[in-house]
Amino acid sequence: MDLELSDEQAELRDNFRSVLEDCCSPALVRAAYEESDDGDSLWRQQVELGWPSLAVPETAGGLGYGFVETALLAEELGRAAAPATLLATTSQLTPALVEADDDEALARVATGSLRGTLALSEKGRFDLDSVATTARRQGERWTVTGTKDGVLAGATADLFAVAARDPETGFVGLFAIEQTDAKVERRPGLDPALLLADVVFTSSPARLLIAPDADAEARIARITEPATVALALHMVGACRNIFEQTLAYAKIRKQYDRVIGSFQALKHRFADMYLEVERATALCYFAAVSIAEDDPERGEVAHLAKAAAGDCQRLLAEDGLQLHGGLGFTWEQDLHFWLKRAKAGEVLCGTSAWHRTALARRLGLASEGDA
Amino acid sequence: MKLQFDDATLAFRDEFLAWLEKNRPAAEEMETDPAVSSAHAPDWARRWARRMFDAGWLVPGWAPELGGRNAGAVETLVYLEALTEAGVPRTTNPQGLGIISPSILDYGRPDQVEEFAMPVLRGELTACLGMSEPDAGSDLANLKTAAVRDGDEWVLNGQKVWTSGAAYADFCFLFCRTDPDARKHRGISIILVPMDTPGLEVKPLKEIVHPDTPDLAEVFLDDVRVPIENLVGEENDGWRMANGSLAHERSMVWLDSVLAIERSMAGLLDHAKAWMPALTPAERALAADDVVRLYIETKALRALGYRGFARFVKGGNAPEQALMKAYSSETSRDLARIASEWNGTDALHTTSGRSNRRRAIGGIEGYFNTFGSTISAGSSEIQRNIIAERVLGLPRE
Ligand SMILES: Cc1cc2nc3c(=O)[nH]c(=O)nc-3n(C[C@H](O)[C@H](O)[C@H](O)COP(=O)(O)OP(=O)(O)OC[C@H]3O[C@@H](n4cnc5c(N)ncnc54)[C@H](O)[C@@H]3O)c2cc1C
Repeated sequence: MDLELSDEQAELRDNFRSVLEDCCSPALVRAAYEESDDGDSLWRQQVELGWPSLAVPETAGGLGYGFVETALLAEELGRAAAPATLLATTSQLTPALVEADDDEALARVATGSLRGTLALSEKGRFDLDSVATTARRQGERWTVTGTKDGVLAGATADLFAVAARDPETGFVGLFAIEQTDAKVERRPGLDPALLLADVVFTSSPARLLIAPDADAEARIARITEPATVALALHMVGACRNIFEQTLAYAKIRKQYDRVIGSFQALKHRFADMYLEVERATALCYFAAVSIAEDDPERGEVAHLAKAAAGDCQRLLAEDGLQLHGGLGFTWEQDLHFWLKRAKAGEVLCGTSAWHRTALARRLGLASEGDA
Repeated sequence: MKLQFDDATLAFRDEFLAWLEKNRPAAEEMETDPAVSSAHAPDWARRWARRMFDAGWLVPGWAPELGGRNAGAVETLVYLEALTEAGVPRTTNPQGLGIISPSILDYGRPDQVEEFAMPVLRGELTACLGMSEPDAGSDLANLKTAAVRDGDEWVLNGQKVWTSGAAYADFCFLFCRTDPDARKHRGISIILVPMDTPGLEVKPLKEIVHPDTPDLAEVFLDDVRVPIENLVGEENDGWRMANGSLAHERSMVWLDSVLAIERSMAGLLDHAKAWMPALTPAERALAADDVVRLYIETKALRALGYRGFARFVKGGNAPEQALMKAYSSETSRDLARIASEWNGTDALHTTSGRSNRRRAIGGIEGYFNTFGSTISAGSSEIQRNIIAERVLGLPRE
């Protein structure tokens, strides 16, 4: 197992990073916080760079990269606390369209004319069992009714990939619904750059992506796994940025006539933070390759990655803020963009507790009644 | 990034497995005559070392005349994995094979290599490492055991402590002060001291568990005389060599810990399935989460180790090594603790014998035993200092 980036992958990551430093500066993130800027200009630049086409297969006019590259993009977007449109389009909508072989929609993603996201969670729960939204069939046409909450980049999506249950069979399937057929209620909240929205569907006309049948659960997992791992790495990218900012600060901030980074009490906390970030990165990369190579263990490794990202955000948000002292407590210091991105990630695509519970089930540690 | 090794590496692994199948020590001989100390080599272990040496499987990365086959780092990695999976110990004298012989090969003269290093490799001699003293633990450079030149001999006086395997070793790779006037780090030398030299006394130190089979010992030196040729490398250059010898095999030490933890984890999962049914659903959820958290650590350790290793293979430096030392030793401690906490009163049972103690899972005794790794070879606290100062560039206190 080789979990170090290849030279080409490292080059691509460096390229993402340096471009984002230019076109997604903290000032742009601040505009999302203070001026309800959705990052449209950033999106246009990203389209010019061809980033939305990265994971689109070549047959649909994309660049045809594998999942590792998508994950690296997600990491760098987290490092920039970027407005979430590209994250959602590349790591949530694209895998759904790929699984559904929807080349027509994929071609639109590749040219930047289609932005979108996955609408799965209801009442904050990221599992198919909790899906109450219904999909009804009339002849060849489907309509969907229900409410999805906390949809990532829901505010800028043109298309939603919606998980909904067929009451006839009880199976959950996946449906494409245009933004114009849905009611989108923005939920700016803690991290406005996530562009979260609640989305209400009322007999909305829907196009079938994945039929609600016995295979659907496994097929939808092939979408939620990359979505989860990308989000985990996105959180880790934010955490690594918090780590670097906090470390730099500890090297210049003086108290008691010495830099605070010379106090052993803080040094050991830095060592622990470093471990958390490296540990989560390693598991996320492991998960990314497992998905890229379509390893049979990919589902398990996705749980590992998101749980580790959860541990990582917990420590980094806490110590990152604390070690900045009063400065960390202010709105003017940019630090809070990453603190909030890291914390918000914990509740999207399943909490750490949810992923650990799923692992317990996979390991045979939970008996049936313990659901 | 990729999940699988390439075909050439897998072929190397198969070649080793085929050899291992024919040449491995039998389970019965390992069982009936176990190593009772980290410098004890039962007959089967001596023959096993010799077979590996002759076949070039002892240290695959070395030249054939040193028991190797000029293998690459990745090949060495799959070799170590295969050996562990087969449940065969590579050596019963890890410090001799892993630290002392390589140091003599690096810094010693040809006659020292012939007399000390090669016999250790061939399983003829075992060795112990004499670094720590009562006032020199983490601060090793504070050591006081003195070596004074008298004609063509060194005369040694002082005391070592926590010397693993001292009661069984044939010689000691001993750190001592040869220039009392120089600054702390400057006056240290390394001398090879046969354990049967008059004036040298070994007093076993009973450990926190298994007092019946102590591995640690105190070593007292009272006018111990050894030939002047037993000095390794240059006089007063011991500190530099210490850093070199401790770095030996460091790129691979993580793997041993990870493999050991993976075995313990597999044991814990089996164990958990046995005691889970007796718990209430609420308890079961708590226990499951405890176990799952450790499962995540186990997977993370391997992923982190592999990442650092890939960097090392590419010639980069691998800061993960200090991280791996602290993280792996603390994980094996946590694993042992959790295993004992859910094990009911069985956690109070004790086992006897050195080989059993490694396998035992679920006992508080085993939990205490794991502290050997969080304390020795640079404690967890010292590893954190190293990470903060050398990896993260924070200033010294
Ligand atoms: C199982 C085992 C096997 C061993 N085998 C050998 C052997 O074969 N040969 C040999 O020479 N030695 C051996 N040792 C000794 C080992 O290397 C020492 O125990 C170790 O270096 C710690 O030294 P100490 O015990 O004197 O503790 P101390 O150095 O006194 O440490 C006490 C506590 O203080 C902490 N501490 C010390 N300095 C600092 C600091 N600067 N910052 C923060 N915390 C600090 C330590 O982490 C520890 O928690 C062995 C020890 C054990 C437990």
